[in-house]
Amino acid sequence: MDATQLLKGVLDVAVLAVVEGEDGYGYDVVRRLRAGGLEEVGDASVYGTLRRLYSAGALTSYVVPSEEGPHRKYYGITPQGRSMLEVQRKVWTEFSTTMNRLLQEGAA
Amino acid sequence: MSTSTIAPQIARFARAVRDALSDLPDEERDELTEGLEADLTEAYAEDLANTLPDPVEYATELRTAAGLPMPAHESTSWTRGIADAWASTRRDLASAIRRNPAAVHLIDFLDAVRPVWWIVRAWVASWGLAAVFGGEGGFLPSSGLYWVVLLLFVVVSTQWGRGRWGFRGLPVLITVGNVIAAVLVLPVVSIANDWQRNVEYAYYDDGPGDLTGVYLDGQQVTNIFPYGHDGKLLDDVQLFDQDGNPLSTAVQGADGCIDPECETEGLWIPGVNVDGITNFNVFPMRMAPGVFSQQQQRLVRDPEQKPQDRTPPFDGVPPLIGKVSANND
Repeated sequence: MDATQLLKGVLDVAVLAVVEGEDGYGYDVVRRLRAGGLEEVGDASVYGTLRRLYSAGALTSYVVPSEEGPHRKYYGITPQGRSMLEVQRKVWTEFSTTMNRLLQEGAA
Repeated sequence: MSTSTIAPQIARFARAVRDALSDLPDEERDELTEGLEADLTEAYAEDLANTLPDPVEYATELRTAAGLPMPAHESTSWTRGIADAWASTRRDLASAIRRNPAAVHLIDFLDAVRPVWWIVRAWVASWGLAAVFGGEGGFLPSSGLYWVVLLLFVVVSTQWGRGRWGFRGLPVLITVGNVIAAVLVLPVVSIANDWQRNVEYAYYDDGPGDLTGVYLDGQQVTNIFPYGHDGKLLDDVQLFDQDGNPLSTAVQGADGCIDPECETEGLWIPGVNVDGITNFNVFPMRMAPGVFSQQQQRLVRDPEQKPQDRTPPFDGVPPLIGKVSANND
C-alpha cells in the first residue's frame, strides 16, 4: 500500500489543519505539511487543494506584494473551513480508530 | 518591478504550466497559478538539488488537486503516449544525473546554451526548406525570401523554446523536430560548406569577365567598316590604337554568326602581311563559313567555301570637306 494514495483522501483535512492556527502561502503550507511528517506531499497537489478549498468557501485568500520578489498568495481559514475541519476530525478519528482496531485484530 | 528577481528557469517553468492550463477560463487559470513563481522560487531555492518537474505533469497535478476537469479532448493517442514515455525517461535520467556534481554543472551549462540550439534548429529547418525549393546557398540564405523564412523560424523556435505559443501536440512536434534537426545538423553543415565553396568558386570564375577584343559602350565590336575621305568604303585597312597595339576584334579560331538569324556560323579571316604574319586588325574583316569538327570539338573552316565579305552598314557615308581647324563652336 502506498502512503501517497492514502494522502489523496486526507489532504483536504491536513491542509485545513495546518492553516487553522496561522495563515500561510502555498509553499509555506507545503513546508508545514512536510515538517509535520507528510514528506512525500507534492507541492502542486497542495496548491491545487488550497485553490479548491478556497472555491468551496473553506479558505479566504489575499495577495501580499513583495519588495524584492514575486507576489505571495496567502490563505486563511474561514468559519466554514473551521466547521469542515471539525467534522473531518471526527470522521478521521472514528475511521482511524476503526482501522487500527481492525488491523490489530487482523494481526492477532 | 518585483518580477525581475524571478530566475529565468522558474519563469519559464511557470509559463509552461500556465500554457498546459490554457484550456481553463483565464480567471480560473490565474487564480490557480497566482503566486506560483513565489512558491517555486522558495521551493527550489531551499533545495538546489531539486530539479524542476515536467510542467505538464505539474499542471495536471495542480488541476486534479483543485478539482478542475481535464481538457475535454484529452488525447490518449500513441503520440501522447510517446511524449509521456519520453518525459518520464527524461525525468529519470535527470534525477540520475543530478546525483553527479560534475554532471549537474554540465546540465546547467547545457541549459544555459539552449537558446543556441533554438537558433541552430531554425537554421537547419530554413536551410532544408530552401534546399527543397532550390534556393540553396552556402551557410546563409541565398535570397531575401529565405532570410525572412530564417528569421521567422528563429522567432517561432525561440518562442517554443521559451515555452510560449504552445498548443496541444506541440511537445511531440518539438521532440520529433529536435531529433530530426540533431540528425541533420552535421550533414547540412557539410553540404552547406561545399555549396559555400562552390559559390565562392563561381564568383571567382565570373571574375571581371573576359574583355579581350574591342568594345563600344560595353558591346563587343566584331567588325569595323572604315570609310575614306570620299565617303566610300575602304578595303584592307590596318588599324592600331594610340599605343601601337593592333586593334584586333578577333583571335585565331574566333567565330560568329554569318547570317542575322545565326543559322550558319563562320570563322573570322585575318589579313596576312608580307612577312606571312596573320593579323586580326585588318578591316572590314571577312568571314568563312565553318563546319563543326567532331574530332577537334570546335568550328573549323569549311574547305569548300570561300571567305565572304561582310555586309557594310552603309554603302557610303557623306564625303569630308576637311577637318575643323579652329574652335568647335
